[in-house]
Amino acid sequence: MTYKLYIRFDKTEPDAAMTTNAQGNAVSFLFDENNPDYQAYLKWLAEGNTPEPADEVTQQ
Amino acid sequence: MSTIKSSTTTTTAYQVVADTTGTLVFQTGATPTTALTIDASQAVTFAGAVSLSGNQTTTGNLTVNGNTTLGDASTDTILMTGAPSIGGAGLGMGMGFRNRIINGAMVIDQRNAGAAVVSNNSGQYPIDRFIVEAYGGGVLTTQQSTTVPAGFLNSLLITVTTTDTSLGTTDDYEFSQKIEGFNVFDLGWGTANAQTVTLSFWVRSSVATTYSVGFQNSDASRSYVGTYTINSANTWEQKTITVAGDTSGTWNKGNSTGLFIRWCLATGTNRIASVANTWESANRIAISATANPIMGTSGATFNITGVQLEKGSTATSFDYRPYGTELALCQRYLPMFTFGASEKLITGQAISTTQVITTFLFPVTARSVATGVTSSAGSNFALGDATLGYGANQTGTAIAFETGGVNQASVKLTCTSGLVAGNASIVLSRFANTTIQFTGCEL
Repeated sequence: MTYKLYIRFDKTEPDAAMTTNAQGNAVSFLFDENNPDYQAYLKWLAEGNTPEPADEVTQQ
Repeated sequence: MSTIKSSTTTTTAYQVVADTTGTLVFQTGATPTTALTIDASQAVTFAGAVSLSGNQTTTGNLTVNGNTTLGDASTDTILMTGAPSIGGAGLGMGMGFRNRIINGAMVIDQRNAGAAVVSNNSGQYPIDRFIVEAYGGGVLTTQQSTTVPAGFLNSLLITVTTTDTSLGTTDDYEFSQKIEGFNVFDLGWGTANAQTVTLSFWVRSSVATTYSVGFQNSDASRSYVGTYTINSANTWEQKTITVAGDTSGTWNKGNSTGLFIRWCLATGTNRIASVANTWESANRIAISATANPIMGTSGATFNITGVQLEKGSTATSFDYRPYGTELALCQRYLPMFTFGASEKLITGQAISTTQVITTFLFPVTARSVATGVTSSAGSNFALGDATLGYGANQTGTAIAFETGGVNQASVKLTCTSGLVAGNASIVLSRFANTTIQFTGCEL
């Protein structure tokens, strides 16, 4: 499993991440301490992992 | 009083003794004894049992002393018409939301639709509102089951897939439900008026031994360990645990965790209380005798259903709520949508040639704002707009959470090309069982 940061609409910096879970579902979440997927992400970071950077904002 | 007597002796089979008190008495038996008295004001007193057949109508107040049984064994039906009012201290069990546990009959499974999930150094929800956690070397497989005691449709089945016979101090195997403070504040825990509660449930396990349940506040700084014993393997048994309410500690009353109930399957020494049935200022869910009742047995099974927590010291019959009501109660903690194939789900607006933002309205106001989404893969969705033409659409490539509230949440769907920024867009599901669940609302 790996995570990718992303920039939400009307934002300029990444404050959310996405991944695919073991069941093949798309998972995305804000960096909110009450979100269980964010807690799992923090645990993954603590194990020494690094997320993929966010794509550049290319809104048209 | 005037008396009419009937006895078993021929010579006294029928006697009348008259006076002027205005009271009339009927006596029967070998030694005539008063059976019926009608006084001067027409009040009637029966001395023995009274049987009435046919319909009875009572006007005025009805006072009943002693136990009262309504209905019968075959129907157990009480019919009330009009707008009857029921109240009084005698109804301590309460009407309406008597059972504080949500999904206690294990019928709602929004996430998995009955499929099995695996807890392996993680917590998973095999059914709504109940999380199964396995932290240590052991693994649990869990799912909604149709193995049930009479009167139920479903149970929660937990199977030990990988054992843990050498528990570390922090290892933990359990299933639990966090009850929202709004739903237990009336218990008055943390005050001198703390109310007694009774937990009841039906349980069936391949391992007949003693187990435990922990009752805690939100930060686990107050704990009470109750125990129950499964007497016969693979046999449904109903268990009850009565807990005197805690008069100490801080117990939340709002939309955060008000009461945390944890069924222990195995736990390390960090969560072991020295004795059961007492409140303690520590995180405890077991005693030494219940530290590892089941995780040492490969393939061991544990079913549970009919979970009820109610005010008072008596376990009453299970409080069946309408399916729609139970589902709505669950949706407060998990706003989720399941779609069929080729459904036109919702409209949104294209923000570029490849992206659409759309907002899903929740069926029930959530406990707290949604902060994430777990859904079918982006390729399960399709995006269309006027430029593509009616019926034409682009296959989705990704879906990501944007913003959330307690009544709605927005997601951004992505495709490879073909949209016009600013156009209205329609989002479609391409396959059956396409799902979107918003996260962050569960306790």
